[in-house]
Amino acid sequence: MKALKSVFLAHYKQFVRDRAALFFTFIFPIMFILIFGWAFSDPGINTFNIGLVDQGSPKSFSYIVEALDHIILDEDRNVFDIQQGQLDEKLQLLQDGELDAVIVIPEEMDSALEQVQSVSLQLYYDPSQISHQQTMIPILNQVVEEIDRSIQGNVRIITLEEQSVQSHDLRYIDYLVPGILGMSLMFTGIFGGIPIIQQRQAHIIKRLGCTPLRRSMLIFGELAFRMILVILTAVLIIVVGRLVFDVQMVGNWASLCGIVILGTLVFSCLGYLIAAFVKTEEGAIPIINAITFPMMFLSGTFFEVSNMPSFIEPVVKIMPLTYLGDALRQIMVDGSPLYPMTTDILVMAGWTLVCLVITIRFFRWD
Amino acid sequence: MSSKTETVIAVINLFKAYSDIKAVDGISIDVKMGEVFGMLGPNGAGKTTTVEIIEGQRAPDSGSVTVLGMDALKDVRAVKEHIGVQPQSPALFPTLNVQEIIDFFRSLYKKTIPTQEVIELVSLQESRNVLVKNLSGGQQQRLSVALAFINDPDIIFLDEPTTGLDPQARRTMWEVIETFRKMGKTIFLTTHYMEEAERLCDRVAIMDHGNIIALGRPQQMIEDHFKESAIQFKMSDYPGQKAMASLTGVTKVVKEEEEEIILYTDNVPSTISSLLDLASERSAELSDLFVRQATLEDVFLKLTGKRIRD
Repeated sequence: MKALKSVFLAHYKQFVRDRAALFFTFIFPIMFILIFGWAFSDPGINTFNIGLVDQGSPKSFSYIVEALDHIILDEDRNVFDIQQGQLDEKLQLLQDGELDAVIVIPEEMDSALEQVQSVSLQLYYDPSQISHQQTMIPILNQVVEEIDRSIQGNVRIITLEEQSVQSHDLRYIDYLVPGILGMSLMFTGIFGGIPIIQQRQAHIIKRLGCTPLRRSMLIFGELAFRMILVILTAVLIIVVGRLVFDVQMVGNWASLCGIVILGTLVFSCLGYLIAAFVKTEEGAIPIINAITFPMMFLSGTFFEVSNMPSFIEPVVKIMPLTYLGDALRQIMVDGSPLYPMTTDILVMAGWTLVCLVITIRFFRWD
Repeated sequence: MSSKTETVIAVINLFKAYSDIKAVDGISIDVKMGEVFGMLGPNGAGKTTTVEIIEGQRAPDSGSVTVLGMDALKDVRAVKEHIGVQPQSPALFPTLNVQEIIDFFRSLYKKTIPTQEVIELVSLQESRNVLVKNLSGGQQQRLSVALAFINDPDIIFLDEPTTGLDPQARRTMWEVIETFRKMGKTIFLTTHYMEEAERLCDRVAIMDHGNIIALGRPQQMIEDHFKESAIQFKMSDYPGQKAMASLTGVTKVVKEEEEEIILYTDNVPSTISSLLDLASERSAELSDLFVRQATLEDVFLKLTGKRIRD
């Protein structure tokens, strides 16, 4: 245990003194999030898609349509895009993220307006969508107020009754953040093979072989440090995502921690596998690049990968990063699953096992 | 303290081959407590392989090794608790500083010497916060020796401790080794520097091609092989082996590829006088002439026909 702690501390000290390692572990993924997040972010005010459900007040319906149509963003772009339909159908669209809000005009509204009685409109939307909360709702409130005023002067009779609905309307940034976390776990994990290669190359392992230290402690101590590192990376990425782009971490922290550790384990074992076959650092770097770069792009780190040529598809389906990214998206932002969670976990566990078995068979300490 | 009778390392009939090269070809060694035992030989003679087997870093093909009464081929970890090893290259984490490296190594042993004491022993007080990669070669080597001492071992193995060091750093290292000796440590030293072996070692084993070709106290070995002194010189017009051998008192002639000639003689004045006669007769020029006592180098030269540093 004392030895494990020493190896851990030795790696910690070496890491904090290595500026390049610090940069690639912490700054690099944040840079990706900021650059891609800003470059592809939604514009400030978007067109909001509104579902209107008329339950039998045609007069009020046309008032509202007219009022909404009057809100113009710039030139002749409308702020609201209105679709009429049935409640069930519209709510489904809202949940799928196709609509931003659904407004229900009640049967009694026409008569209520005539008799100057108070009436409430049901407004369904997802309050977790921050742009809706901050932009759409105030505009809708104003629209309703205008209608109210034009009909009844100063007496307020129409109110908007807000109903919250959880939608799956993932923004690009919601997709990106878990992808970047997956990518940095991949890099941090696979580069775990490098210290072993360096220490073997510099005869440090041999030097430590003269002491009572069990050599396996070298791996375990280093891996323990790596785990702390990836958890810090995950926290940093989640905090930056939250503060800068308001990406909500909706899932369970324990499951996230489990997937982060499993993901790191997969790629660490892949790194050790490389160390089993490659003797020099100079030889290992190009191999790591050849493995990580295709994975980074093909597994959908930055963009959803669809319509791939059929010969690429099997490649995508065996890449562990595909499953890590999918699992992280499911947990962090409740993204729609590509595969069931158990599949993600089993594929990653399978990769870990296969790499481990081959590594144990071929790895040499000297 | 040291009785010099108790055996601390017993190697019997050790063999180790790499593919078809016999690195260690059936050697036996007996090292006594408190002695400085040197293993001398050219690169590739099998010194390092032998030492690494004794230290438990390598398994032999056959033979037995007993260290401090333990079976060094089985109780490897127990043996490692009680020995200190300084391998040929320092090989330390480059971005840890001196103090951190020492603390790291201290954490690996049950019994240890305080960090401060270790640092003072190898005079690295000034450099305790310097990163390993910024130490000079001599400082790195001293740190490496310090680490071999950190667990207060009974036996210290030093593999080529002064190779690549400048004369000043080499002398500092010798002082450290002398300190170990005074503490009563047993020291197992490998080197290919004759001077180092002669100066430091109580006993020396000369190794070549995996075999021990001579073993004993350095002075005794020289006396056993040479009653003679050596006359070393260069000569512009070499008259040939036969002419040289016929000079008065000469017992053996060695001609190196470079101009250098060594005559072993049991009568220095007569040999020099007849050498000068021969030279003036042929009007050949003599240069760099000096007379010296025979050394271990000469012993090695006589036994193998080649110089050790090739």
